[in-house]
Amino acid sequence: MDFDDDMILDQGPAVTITEAGDNFVNFALQKVDLSFANSLRRVIMAEIPIMAIDLVEIEVNSSVLPDEFLCHRLGLIPLVSKNCTEDVEYTRECDCDQYCSRCSVTLSLHAKCTSNEIMKVYAADLLVDHDRANPWVGTPVITDAEGKGTVICKLRNGQELRMKCIAKKGIGKEHAKWAPVAAVGFEYDPHNKLKHTDLWFEKSIAEEWPASKHAEWEEPAQEGERFDPDAEPDKYYFEVEGVGNLAPDQIIHEGIKVLQTKLATILNALGETKEDAGERFLPDDDVDMGGRNDFDNGYTTPGYNGPSYGNHGRATPYGATPYGQSGY
Amino acid sequence: MSSKRKPTNTKWSHEFDTLRRENLFKNPPQDHSAYPLLVQAISPHIESFNEVFREGGLVTKAIRDIGTKYYLDGDERTGPAGKNVLSIRVKDVVVQKAMLPPSNKFTTKRHIFPAECRERHVTYRGRMEANLQYKVNNGDWHSFTRDLGQIPIMLMSNKCHLEKNSPDLLVQRHEEAEELGGFFVVNGIEKIIRLLIVNRRNFPMGILRPSFKGRGAAFTQYGILIRSVRPDETSQTNVIHYLEDGNCTFRFSWRKNEYLIPVMMILKALVDTNDRAIFEGLVGLPGSKATKNSFLTDRVELLLRSYKHYGLYTKRKTRAFLGKKFRIQLGVPDTMSNYDCGTEFLRKIVLVHLGNVDVTEAQDNDKFKMLLFMISKLYALVGGDCCGDNPDAVQNQEILLGGFLYGMILKERLEDWLGTNLRLVLRDYLRKTPGNNFATQEFAKQLPVRLMGRTNENIGQALEYFMSTGNLVSPTGLDLQQVSGFTVVAEKINFLRFISHFRMVHRGSFFAQLKTTTVRKLLPESWGFLCPVHTPDGSPCGLLNHLSHKCKIMTKSVNASAVPQLVVDLGVVTGSSDIDEAVIVTLDGKVLGWCTPKQSLLIADTLRYWKVEGSHNVPKELEICYVPRSQGGQYPGIYMSSSPSRMIRPVKYLALDKEDFVGPQEQPFMSIAVIEPEIVSGESTHVEFDPTNILSILANMTPFSDFNQSPRNMYQCQMGKQSMGTPGTATRYRSDNKTYRLQTGQTPIVRAPLHNDYGFDNFPNGMNAVVAVISYTGYDMDDAMIINKSAHERGFGHGTIYKTKKIDLSEGQRSRSITYMKKAFGFAPGDEAKGRQGGIDEDGLPFVGRLVQDGDILCCWHTVYVDASGALKNRDGVTHYEKYKDGETAFIEEVRLIGGENGSDPLSMISIKLRVPRSPVIGDKFSSRHGQKGVASQKWPMIDMPFSESGMQPDVIINPHAFPSRMTIGMFVESLAGKAGALHGLAQDSTPFRFDEENTAGDYFGHQLMKAGYNYYGNEPMYSGITGEELHADIYVGLVYYQRLRHMVNDKFQVRTTGPITKLTGQPIKGRKGGGGIRVGEMERDSLLAHGTAFLLQDRLLNCSDYQKSWICKSCGTFISTQPTVSAYANRRKGTGKVRCRQCARKIEGALGSGTGETWDDGHGQRWVGGEDTTIVAVPGVLKYLDVELAAMGIKLKYNVGTA
Repeated sequence: MDFDDDMILDQGPAVTITEAGDNFVNFALQKVDLSFANSLRRVIMAEIPIMAIDLVEIEVNSSVLPDEFLCHRLGLIPLVSKNCTEDVEYTRECDCDQYCSRCSVTLSLHAKCTSNEIMKVYAADLLVDHDRANPWVGTPVITDAEGKGTVICKLRNGQELRMKCIAKKGIGKEHAKWAPVAAVGFEYDPHNKLKHTDLWFEKSIAEEWPASKHAEWEEPAQEGERFDPDAEPDKYYFEVEGVGNLAPDQIIHEGIKVLQTKLATILNALGETKEDAGERFLPDDDVDMGGRNDFDNGYTTPGYNGPSYGNHGRATPYGATPYGQSGY
Repeated sequence: MSSKRKPTNTKWSHEFDTLRRENLFKNPPQDHSAYPLLVQAISPHIESFNEVFREGGLVTKAIRDIGTKYYLDGDERTGPAGKNVLSIRVKDVVVQKAMLPPSNKFTTKRHIFPAECRERHVTYRGRMEANLQYKVNNGDWHSFTRDLGQIPIMLMSNKCHLEKNSPDLLVQRHEEAEELGGFFVVNGIEKIIRLLIVNRRNFPMGILRPSFKGRGAAFTQYGILIRSVRPDETSQTNVIHYLEDGNCTFRFSWRKNEYLIPVMMILKALVDTNDRAIFEGLVGLPGSKATKNSFLTDRVELLLRSYKHYGLYTKRKTRAFLGKKFRIQLGVPDTMSNYDCGTEFLRKIVLVHLGNVDVTEAQDNDKFKMLLFMISKLYALVGGDCCGDNPDAVQNQEILLGGFLYGMILKERLEDWLGTNLRLVLRDYLRKTPGNNFATQEFAKQLPVRLMGRTNENIGQALEYFMSTGNLVSPTGLDLQQVSGFTVVAEKINFLRFISHFRMVHRGSFFAQLKTTTVRKLLPESWGFLCPVHTPDGSPCGLLNHLSHKCKIMTKSVNASAVPQLVVDLGVVTGSSDIDEAVIVTLDGKVLGWCTPKQSLLIADTLRYWKVEGSHNVPKELEICYVPRSQGGQYPGIYMSSSPSRMIRPVKYLALDKEDFVGPQEQPFMSIAVIEPEIVSGESTHVEFDPTNILSILANMTPFSDFNQSPRNMYQCQMGKQSMGTPGTATRYRSDNKTYRLQTGQTPIVRAPLHNDYGFDNFPNGMNAVVAVISYTGYDMDDAMIINKSAHERGFGHGTIYKTKKIDLSEGQRSRSITYMKKAFGFAPGDEAKGRQGGIDEDGLPFVGRLVQDGDILCCWHTVYVDASGALKNRDGVTHYEKYKDGETAFIEEVRLIGGENGSDPLSMISIKLRVPRSPVIGDKFSSRHGQKGVASQKWPMIDMPFSESGMQPDVIINPHAFPSRMTIGMFVESLAGKAGALHGLAQDSTPFRFDEENTAGDYFGHQLMKAGYNYYGNEPMYSGITGEELHADIYVGLVYYQRLRHMVNDKFQVRTTGPITKLTGQPIKGRKGGGGIRVGEMERDSLLAHGTAFLLQDRLLNCSDYQKSWICKSCGTFISTQPTVSAYANRRKGTGKVRCRQCARKIEGALGSGTGETWDDGHGQRWVGGEDTTIVAVPGVLKYLDVELAAMGIKLKYNVGTA
């Protein structure tokens, strides 16, 4: 549009960091199209692998919380996951039988209340096994001043918890506990110049609609400015706040990496289509597009080349229909 | 120490008060509950029960009414002369608290607490004893005591160990800190006696009922009905009917039979009177205005004249006549004279509220005056001077309290025992030993033990039967219109449901069958007493109401003894109605006197002023119903009531600016402003404290209910009670059949202050959800809702079901004691090693915490016998297993070993509590608090959800189409308020009627949103999660409190392709449990036909049902004569594969057959030839069955088989 843009265009996408902290980074992403920006957002939320407790072997649980409730709580405790993309294997891809130090981190919890005071069990009470992929992965994230972390459970005199928690690598698409962020702020076109949305108002937009946080970063539409129907958004304001597993910059880096890997996989597959299509084009586990595969293997009518549902015991001889197999 | 502590604060704000609440939970108060409103809500139940057994309570009064029973010895057929008279009476009845029986020698703690009864599935009951006295002829009274069994005891009543326990003590006794009581524990189940609506007591109601005409010839639709209540709370209804000729008949029902008596006879029997006195009592003094009313005078004249032919002029003669007629019905002894019997009749039946025991002449005079008044009112009704009273209006109703009903049943049982039961036993005794008479030593020895022992004295059992079934077994019917449905289970699905049970008022199951809907109507009279919102829809609509939360029920009479003198001082004439146009003044159905209409207003106003002021000994709870004179309105007068069972409610009396209590009878004649601005000076006397006072507890919990279309609020009242919430905190000490629990409950951000007052934060019932109103994927069509998958994974709506399975090895056995022991838990000797494999412990019981799946072993047992040394031995060495039969996986939560009260019985019963985790799945039902229910249709991935600029995604998406037709604007307001509350950290007050056109809710919360940097209207621009593009429209997002309802697909789904069938027909079995099918019935078949979907029709009716391939003989056309052939050379498994018709075949006689064709063997050594024309056809299985059935009757079906 104006000459300034053209210059940046040559340099490719640009990132302007507006604010950053231990746990968050706010930045503006420029010179990319909407689909790319959104892909980054989606990947950050759902596909960055991090560690979370996935398997709990309970030996003793005499607390008031039932096992499954406790396990759910344990799963949601954020664990340090720095570099786990490289250092830790997915359990399903690991050579081991069940889990091993290469694909998992073992945390053990043993707490017993012996006094009349109510005892609180904190995330800090989880003991991390030293046999792990790198020296930090799997340590519970603790940010509070006392260094105790999340409360897992409260115990009364005589109650005990003894369990082994296996943390594994996973992605947010599978379960929210593997999401490095809870939400990603994402905005473009704060002045609605592109008219993507139609802000409802009673008297006036200016009065009723509070200005966006990022409004000052862009010029509002000038009086009498012509609406450009072909304009595309090109500046996106991200607000990424981590849960604590990964530093905010790592989150972005990992996100881009995942995105690259996905694209590479597609390119790779496309490159080989001429020789052996079909086989290679099946998505492999790593870049599973669905996460919703369960929708596909829906119910198929028996008798029509689908899987047949066997007759059990005293059943109607449904298989013996004129259009099915004869059972007589 | 506790005395020095500051008393527990009972004032609550509308704030979250998290710390205070947490502290209360951790350290339950040692003085009293922090939630007095809760205690108040159930108090009618407890107080009414306390009335029964307190000193001088209902039982004492009942015993006085029962009186002494007299029996004669000797030959029944001879007269009373020379016979001995046995007089027997109950002196008093003592009820003990729940205690261990003396046979238990194992513990010093003798109390049985309710929690133990719940866990052991037994009844919480205490022993009842009666002290009896008897004398023979004129001898001395002798006393003895009889055990009457154990009666169920209401929790927290004066016979309960928990009475006045502090929350701290309650927790120690394994109860809820806020345990309310008011119910019974019967067989481990919490039962409550329903509040019933009955006619207002002691008030003569003018009734216009066309069905009266059917009572007999000359009957008209007019009648005066009075439900007269004795001091012991039992009642007797008296009706005076108007006959076509102007006469009046007195009707009553006694022991379920109806009797009619000329009303004059009663009048004459009551007092010594003459016709002139009666005439003047009805019409007035000569010269008064009413004497010119020829309608009235004619009829009174006829009334007097038509009685002449009885020839009974004096009181003595009339009573003797009545006594002679009714002595059988009353069951009086032969020694009693007819006159006394007539007195007894009047005592027991006529206007019993005015004199019931030892009736004095003054009381008879009261009855006489009341009867005259009733006749006057009847004539006024017939003459059109006044209108009929509506028995369906709360104005003419009161509440039958559970405790009172309990007392009534107890009284009746006692009377039955002493009257009927003992009579039979004595007669039996006298017949068997004719030599004995009452005067013998032998009799004196036998009566207290032997003879009484033969009576059916287990009254406790009768009461327990009543409590557990709700059925009333009664020879009198207790003047009630129903015999069943008196008790209900107080289900603890969640706290809302539980508390509602105690506020529930039923009109009576008699009215449920009534075809007319008039009884169900919401009448203006119920304003403030019954909640207009909280009634279920469907069959019990309008019959099952709930009390408004400020409505109280009186459980005691208030002391109104000063009132009669006061009204006299105010100018009421007590003598007779010798004032022109006199207006009657009554108190509790007793005529106090008459006054002029002008005076009556003054009297009513003065009394009201005094009662609110608290002066002149006029009680505040006295109801002063002033009915002004009107043209054809209600019959004028001042009717005061001080009796129990009345509903009352507080309103502000303007003259003194103080609290006054008004009742339903007086309310229609008062001017009570709803809000202060509505006060009309000179007219309004009262103003409501709060308009929300008319709503029930639950209806008050609906936020901004004044913004909703009214039926939606009704739906919410239903759904609030169905939501999966927190039933309580003492779940460990309960073993309910099935309970639901929400794992991730929250306190609502938007709530009425009453939420805190009622302590609902102790029992969370839902969760705050970010709700976007948007049509996003199509999966939110038709009230479906989309749940954010990540929100679900973080715990949104997670819940648990607890099921208790009772395994009773002594089932069907008489006793649990060791001598009757047939089965014992554990492995049979030699089988112990199998335990660990099956997942159960060596003792044969399951491990706590273990996961069980369909078919897993829960526990095991073996048969035993008692050997000579008294030890249990097994003979057969077989171990039997109890299995878990349910598709869902569950965990063993608790295993309870249940013993008996004696402490010596061997273990024969256990109960296993199973925990079934239920995280939300697609198909589970959710609802907001505005009657907006929906089914979860998808768990949508977080990244695909729409999001706001800050990245917020909704937890729930609902479709905008849910709103226009339902008009639940309250939900929008809640959404706004919730959003603003969450942003500012506020608890938002959602009391209805707080906003108006000038100060709108939208404005109030809109500005809060603006302050937080959000759009005033609650909209937000959102982005598509899939493309990242900004959505065309801005989306209404906010926080709404969502309830998860207990209806879950896992309990409901029914799907089948193939599965079990019924043997006889070959069709699928019915029922979800066994994996049956859903019936394609006639109407479904019709629609399939109409659509011409032949393939579908065949599929449903044949292929998926009883499709069978069957051999048929083409030549003779029958199924039943075909049979497979047998051959020595055939494959053993498949057979020969040949089927022949036996009917068409010919038997081969001898070694060689004649004729041609292949021979075949029928398997019985007989060889045949022919019958080869068979084929296979596909037919419904039932067709063959029909064929066989018809063949049995000698009817042959023949099928013509062609080729398709």
